[in-house]
Amino acid sequence: MTTTSTAEPRVRAPRADTSPPRRRRMSVTARRSLTAWLFLTPTLLILIAFTVYPMVQAAYLSFTDYNLIRAAQWVGLDNYIELLSDDAFWNAFGNTVLYAAVVTPVTVVLALAFALMLNQAFVGRAFARTAIFLPFIVSLGIIAIAWAFLLDPNIGLLSHWLSLVGIVPEQGWLSDPRYAMAAVMVVGVWKNVGFYMVIYLAGLQSIPVDMYEAARLDGAGVWQRFRNVTLPLLSNQTLLVSVLALIATLQAFDQIYVMTRGGPFFRTETLVMLVYREGFQELRFGYASAISFVLVLFVFVLSMVQFGYLRRKQVTY
Amino acid sequence: MKTQHRRRSRERGLFRTIRPLTAIAALSIAGLALAGCTGQGSGGGGGDETDASGKVTLDFWNGFTGPDGPALEKVIDDFNASQDEVEVTANIMPWDTLYQKVLTSVAGSDGPDIIAMSASRMPQFASQGLFEGLDDYYTDDAHDSAALAETAVEASVYDGVNYGVPVNFTPMMMYYNKDLFSAAGLDPEAPPATWDELAAMVPKLTVDDNGDGKPEQYALAIADHETVPVMASLLWGTGGGITNADGTESTLADPASIEALDFWVSLIRDQKATQIGMSGADADKLFQTQKAAIEIVGPWMTTGFDEAGLNYGLAKPPAGPSDEAVLADVVSMGLPAGTSDAKKKAAYEFFAYWNSAEGQTTWADGSGFPPNRADVADKVTASPYPAIFGAEDVTSVSKTLLPGIAAGGPIMETIFNPSVQKALNGEGSVQDIFTAASEQVQAELDK
Repeated sequence: MTTTSTAEPRVRAPRADTSPPRRRRMSVTARRSLTAWLFLTPTLLILIAFTVYPMVQAAYLSFTDYNLIRAAQWVGLDNYIELLSDDAFWNAFGNTVLYAAVVTPVTVVLALAFALMLNQAFVGRAFARTAIFLPFIVSLGIIAIAWAFLLDPNIGLLSHWLSLVGIVPEQGWLSDPRYAMAAVMVVGVWKNVGFYMVIYLAGLQSIPVDMYEAARLDGAGVWQRFRNVTLPLLSNQTLLVSVLALIATLQAFDQIYVMTRGGPFFRTETLVMLVYREGFQELRFGYASAISFVLVLFVFVLSMVQFGYLRRKQVTY
Repeated sequence: MKTQHRRRSRERGLFRTIRPLTAIAALSIAGLALAGCTGQGSGGGGGDETDASGKVTLDFWNGFTGPDGPALEKVIDDFNASQDEVEVTANIMPWDTLYQKVLTSVAGSDGPDIIAMSASRMPQFASQGLFEGLDDYYTDDAHDSAALAETAVEASVYDGVNYGVPVNFTPMMMYYNKDLFSAAGLDPEAPPATWDELAAMVPKLTVDDNGDGKPEQYALAIADHETVPVMASLLWGTGGGITNADGTESTLADPASIEALDFWVSLIRDQKATQIGMSGADADKLFQTQKAAIEIVGPWMTTGFDEAGLNYGLAKPPAGPSDEAVLADVVSMGLPAGTSDAKKKAAYEFFAYWNSAEGQTTWADGSGFPPNRADVADKVTASPYPAIFGAEDVTSVSKTLLPGIAAGGPIMETIFNPSVQKALNGEGSVQDIFTAASEQVQAELDK
């Protein structure tokens, strides 16, 4: 089994065939799926305990007037009916849509732009990559407190710099209804853009160099190479990044909660913040569950639409 | 065909080595899940009535995080030393943390034995069934409740039942910066006594050096959210208010209320008397850094102002045209519903000690809060503030906000404060904003 076998194609070395046939109690497919299920079991258990069960529970609670202390009373569709005529709900819904509609595309475009820039070789590239990625790994609570300090009208460094160039809001950036939403949006983009940039960077590095060479030989300029080579070949990353970013922005809570508490007069209150307020401050867990469920449905439908749309534009090679 | 064979054989090998590992992993996860369940079942702090030495142990949650914290602990230590049947332990955390944690903790029977909170928040929790009624505490003569200030006792009554025993009773006073008064050419010994006097001083105390329309120094530091509800108490100055006396009707759109709101909104918005959009902490900071000349606040700030080296005076807040409008804040101690008789008896002993002449003297001396009972006022000597805050002419006119109204918290946080912010930002006329707000308040009251 020396010279001859090596000369032969590798697939010809039939080790399984040379070994004596074994009796199998289970078909190969069954055994393979059993392996898969065994591997999945730990994750599934965790998923059932911490995701599926709470979701079912919340679905049930959304039909009750549960308040944590007393036993829940079944109220049927009352919570959902109340929700439709609740100004607070529609205000939060509008804010959530506005936040997602601005932050998602800005984040995706900026992430791509940073990735393209930082894919070039230049001095300080590693530093720039780290600087952009760093906010993503720092706790949002800390980031939000730091930004609240920067934007403080009396002691804020950023407020001070902006005032030097003549940009002075009449009051604090975070308490002025005209700027508060914009301020939390800036922080939302800044916080997450690094993560999506890394995904794009990985995508850029997997594009074969010869594709660019071929394009260049065909006379394609920088823009045409980007438009016809880079962008299509990044469609997988774009799908991933935009779905992830949309889901994340629709659930915006922590940085807004710390920075503005939803104020001034609910201008920055998102749906998740409303859930928190109705649940933990006004002790209406049933109603809060109903709002959560509407949000879950909304996120699900939007993600599916987005998925379907981008999937069609996907390119593989 | 051959390739398939090869792959299959390799997979089998992998399968063989991995199987035990997977089994172990699966088992350990299942074990964890089980452990988790049992842990939840047997958990819960309500179980232990007594500690090893046979004492009844009481876990007392409160929010006295400031210099008042050590004073509170001193009274508790004195109580623990005064007898050998009850041991109280203070668990001090910021108030907002306490409000967030208390409901889930009690529901999970892992909560405190004694809960302190602003009496204005108690009705909301009481209406949900969080608290045990404490009427029998007051009917027991041994507790000497007759000596307590009536406002302090009545603050925790909801729906005819008293759910709390007062920890403190504090009128808000006007702190004013004497140096800034002098610099403005005003007499530092003559703080404004009426709204009109105040309005006349505002232009002198507001300083905009660089003329950018944003003052460097404000006349007042008044917060519009996350604060003691000073702004709402100003409505009393004209005979207005958020609701009528028994809390059944909204009076927010009454002419008297609108008159007061018009006065204050125009003072703040048009004359830039204070910075808009501040939380209570922001307002304290503004006064503490000498960027505001006047703040109406409780005695918990005195230590901070002293440490900042401020040369300040204390006076009764300026009186409105028809009422003095002094806001009082009461913090009360309550017991979670379902407290055992043993714990209840032990807690009553502690409440009685807290409000005894001895306990109140120690508390007022150490914290600067006025005592809950008039008969010890002259025994408080370590600090001048209890005497000023507890002066008869102050306590006799001070009132608590929305007493006994279950929707008090939501009314302040989701209707009144946002409406004030709206008005201060010029998003509509005072009349329109508060007519709409009044309807919302009425809806809350009718719930």
